[in-house]
Amino acid sequence: MSGYHVVVCGSIVPDPLQTLEPITGPTGPSLKNEMMLPAVLDPWAAQALFEAAALAQKAPGSKVWLVALGPKAKLQQVMMAVGQKVPFELVAVDGPAGGFVDAHETAAALAEAVQAIPGLDRARLLLFGGWESGSRGAGVTLQLVGERLGLQDQFQGVDQLTPQPDGSLEILERVEGGKHQVSVVAGPPALLGWATGNLPEPRNNPQVGMANMKGIMPALQKAKPAKVGAADAQYLAVQLPKQQRETRVVKDLTPDAIAAELVEWISKD
Amino acid sequence: METILFLSHTEPDGALPRAALEALTAARALAQGTKGQLVLGVFGAETAGAAAQLAGAGAQRALAVTSPELAAARYASDAAAAEALARAAGATVVVAPSTSRLARVLAGVSHRLGGKIDTHATGVAAQDGAPTVTRWFYRQRMEATLRRAARPWFVTVDAGTQPAFRAEGAAPALEAVPLALADAQRRTRVTGFRAPEAQAQTIRPDAKLLFVAGAGWTKKQADGKPHLDQAEQLILGFLGKAKASLGSSKSMTDLATEGHGVMGFMTHLNQVGQTGSTPRHAKGLATCCHGEEPHVVGWRFINERRAVNLDPNCGWARGKADVVYVADAFAVMEKVNALLASRG
Amino acid sequence: MSNAPDETSPQPDRQSMEVDIACVGFGPAMGGFLTTLARGLTNPDGTPAVESAVSPGLPPQVVCYERADGLGFGVSGVVTRARGLRQSFPDLDPAQIPMATAVKEEKVVYLLDPHGASRRSATLQAADATLQALRLVLPLRDHALELPYTPEFLHKRGGLVLSLGQLNQWVGEQLMAGGQVQLWPATPVDGPLVEGGKVTGVRLLDQGVQKDGRPDAGYVAGLDVRARLTVVADGPVGAVGRALDERFGLPEGHHQREWAVGMKVVVDLPEGCALPEGTVLHTIGYPEPEIFGFLYVHPGRVASVGIFVPSWMGSPVRTSYLYLQHFLQHPYLWKHLQGGKLRSWGAKSLQESGRRGEPQLVGDGFARIGEGSGTTNVLTGSGVDEAWTSGTLLAEGVLELLRAGKPFTKENLDAAYVARRRASWLEEEGRVAEKARDGFGRGFVTGLLGMALSGMTKGLVNLGSEPVPSHERFESLEEWYAGKIPGTEIDRLRAECKAKNTSLHAALMKAAGWPDIVYDGQLLVSHQDALLMGGKVQAPAGYADHVVFRQPAVCARCGSRTCIEICSAQAIAPGEPGQPPAFDREKCVHCGACLWNCTQVLEGETTNLAFRAGAGGLHSAEN
Repeated sequence: MSGYHVVVCGSIVPDPLQTLEPITGPTGPSLKNEMMLPAVLDPWAAQALFEAAALAQKAPGSKVWLVALGPKAKLQQVMMAVGQKVPFELVAVDGPAGGFVDAHETAAALAEAVQAIPGLDRARLLLFGGWESGSRGAGVTLQLVGERLGLQDQFQGVDQLTPQPDGSLEILERVEGGKHQVSVVAGPPALLGWATGNLPEPRNNPQVGMANMKGIMPALQKAKPAKVGAADAQYLAVQLPKQQRETRVVKDLTPDAIAAELVEWISKD
Repeated sequence: METILFLSHTEPDGALPRAALEALTAARALAQGTKGQLVLGVFGAETAGAAAQLAGAGAQRALAVTSPELAAARYASDAAAAEALARAAGATVVVAPSTSRLARVLAGVSHRLGGKIDTHATGVAAQDGAPTVTRWFYRQRMEATLRRAARPWFVTVDAGTQPAFRAEGAAPALEAVPLALADAQRRTRVTGFRAPEAQAQTIRPDAKLLFVAGAGWTKKQADGKPHLDQAEQLILGFLGKAKASLGSSKSMTDLATEGHGVMGFMTHLNQVGQTGSTPRHAKGLATCCHGEEPHVVGWRFINERRAVNLDPNCGWARGKADVVYVADAFAVMEKVNALLASRG
Repeated sequence: MSNAPDETSPQPDRQSMEVDIACVGFGPAMGGFLTTLARGLTNPDGTPAVESAVSPGLPPQVVCYERADGLGFGVSGVVTRARGLRQSFPDLDPAQIPMATAVKEEKVVYLLDPHGASRRSATLQAADATLQALRLVLPLRDHALELPYTPEFLHKRGGLVLSLGQLNQWVGEQLMAGGQVQLWPATPVDGPLVEGGKVTGVRLLDQGVQKDGRPDAGYVAGLDVRARLTVVADGPVGAVGRALDERFGLPEGHHQREWAVGMKVVVDLPEGCALPEGTVLHTIGYPEPEIFGFLYVHPGRVASVGIFVPSWMGSPVRTSYLYLQHFLQHPYLWKHLQGGKLRSWGAKSLQESGRRGEPQLVGDGFARIGEGSGTTNVLTGSGVDEAWTSGTLLAEGVLELLRAGKPFTKENLDAAYVARRRASWLEEEGRVAEKARDGFGRGFVTGLLGMALSGMTKGLVNLGSEPVPSHERFESLEEWYAGKIPGTEIDRLRAECKAKNTSLHAALMKAAGWPDIVYDGQLLVSHQDALLMGGKVQAPAGYADHVVFRQPAVCARCGSRTCIEICSAQAIAPGEPGQPPAFDREKCVHCGACLWNCTQVLEGETTNLAFRAGAGGLHSAEN
């Protein structure tokens, strides 16, 4: 048996172009019009999915699963866009995916879903996901899933994964100072939280879409509800930051004059 | 009563990173505000150097895991060390800096201890004697303050949000906490570091100024042609002279990914914004960049902001920058570089 | 980069895929078609009611491609009688659909011009003066006259106020959950595949190309989707529908010369706003007499407010955005809107020829539904109901042919679909409306009278004459502003704007007496802010530009440059001297206004501006 079993954990976030506003409901904070806002696959998770597909293509015998916890209807919409990109099998879990949902509860539901994947071979397992997310932005969920699955080779802020001839994997993680830490793990199982990597977004491929959709709709239909919420967290306040500055628009200065102003500004402590 | 553990790794020389001293300020304030006790915990291949930096912190105990296994940042060994320290301290709240090394492991450690974690805290305080944490959600688009019932509660504090602790007096004695690793925890080897080419010159987290280049630099100029070479020269020239850090908008890095011949030194690492980074610098100068919301969320921690753009209606002019110069960035930056050069 | 790949030449790197039914464009017409079709494809026990020809043993493979990045993106809020929708969903509870509510109150309001800046004919000025003189006895308030009754033909009694974006999303969800059809947003279709006079499917747009269409890194030739039936519902400016029109021509005597740009905002109404949910206001008379306006109140203190700038308004200064801002500030509306917040913004072209613009509805291998098939009713100001119904009628016909095992020939589609359409209320009402607006060609007052006459006589009596192509209607700036702005001043402004590389409309409107727009940063914002705060426009890389100036030299000679003035999103700018206008895809909302506002005719009614299939556009599902 060759190839990897790549399980990508990823969910949805509001389309980054949308205006977001918090509201407080009976179960804690959430977004105004959350169900009306268009959603996308979280950008980091999407990168993880594309990296998984690229790896699987290079390693024959590999298989890619996408495990997504989110509101079923929203997941369905997002799958219409993502389903055309790369081949994968969807494992859907029905539940809230907002930023204020407790990462530990989300991780528990995801770990359970991963463990329930039939035929998943732990010896070939690569657990992928986004380094952080566009909603919670905490960078903890994937680690928590990993701990629950007993994965002790974890990497975060990954930009590159290169399988070595001896079966080991070389991994580049983002660290301070704009550098990458280079690690080599003996082989799967391992966990990789992806940053933006270096792969461009794959083109839409309708044939991939047709093939994916055969599995996506049944997966959504049998999505189990997950009991996730704010858990023990009590939100005391949620607010939008004050962003508005008094902007001075300078229209009629020459480049020389602007340069002089800028240099003075830069030099000032 | 809360037991607040200040937790950090050391640098290879045994000293604490600056971010750790900032987190220590938060941990001390929390211990005071909750009338709890403060315990210090450090781990690394060398830890002795840290003791002096912790002098006068007012801690009940100071613990250290010191082992050559901790020379490099590896999940299995770092998590084991952090777990050992948290257990030894009997911590109910763990306050740590959001360094890449701790960000990698603390969620896992919180799970091992049956606790919870919140990361990227920008504020840690005690309200009515109970700890609270303030952090951003939705990529710095809203800010929330929360408290938790679960313990231990792990909190990582973002760099630059607290003043650094200054040592005073005698260094505490570090109690050694043992570390035992199994072979299964040694499957990963850290082999070194790699800096993307020319990257060292362009990303400078400690720089005072962030210089952001937008896709406008690659577009056709007045003569109907793009001037990439000139743009590269101007940007690199400026970065060299002003010692600024380089950021970019998403469109710029997307162009690079698509194989367009744009700015050899620009990579995804430079991207600032919704899907990129949120750097901290005292000043930011945006050029040829529209200042759209998804990009500007990455400017959350840039205090003073100026922009040079040909469009007086660009996003920067709508309350996102302090000053917008409506001008051609090519012309302006050429003059800026000349002025900087003349000043030596 | 062909728009209509004819007599397809085989290309080694172009792949193809076979389906039973390929559909283009997901709007209300496609919603009606797929909803009805999907229900007939399987038996209650889940077994196929009819079999796929390409995947034997399975139900027919039905695939729908939508250009926009989401199923509910870039469309518009409406009030509709919803007869078709209710027929498809008899138990429909509007509460299931976000932003939907029942129509409660309707008013038609004549708005006077408080600034005296609009261009009003002598007749209209006299009428306005009479109204003012009688203001003590007439219910004239806030420079507006609420008509005592709403003409029967305009009524939407029993109807719904909807966000079309939310309706589309809701319908899409139902369809996807059923699993009978596949919907693929973010997939622009380049054009139909035509072989030997028969439509054999569609070709998707090439990816990984430069802006001019030349292959670039990651080039993927657009897939050929071969289908037994191609259902075209890509609206009035859709690439597939227009390619079919070019290829097969319009039926004798038909033409598509009546258009409008609809531009709207979705507004969070200020606290304390007294307008009840379900309120519907239709306005006439302001900001220019020719511009119709609307305000619909959704649940949750949200309103859709907008205007239509029609092709029969002769002004070459055709800025919908500035007009919309003046409209919002009319005292009659501003009292409700002041303090409100922009939530969403958008624009769309409306094909207003209606029944007279009906194309070849069917041919071998294809059928047309929706707005592009001439369903819009300009007399009743209604399109969604009609579009939806055209879709359901086609679906009934298609199911009939599938069950009978008959091929999708022109003849069979005529019998199964066109005959149904001819026998429907859609046809009956379309006929009544056919000439209802012809009077506007002779002026606003004649136009209104004509509409009233057509409405009251059920289309027997109409005023006016056959419309001319829109590009023949625009007056010169000097003609339009005669008596308002001296020719020398126009020349001066022209030179000034040329030097600044900006469009002319703001300068001209100011000179004509329109007050400055004072931005409040919430509802009154700059055009580019509206794009960002309300429109959220995005253009994915790797696709060719979809607005193309066919012959640059023709643009260089063009004096009016209406494409720049009308552009809903400032995506078309003056550009370099001697060059065609500059097109910035990252601002384009795909409204298509540039297409029918180009004044430079090359041949027949084809103008110098090509509006092709393109990717991206608005990212708002609230419109």
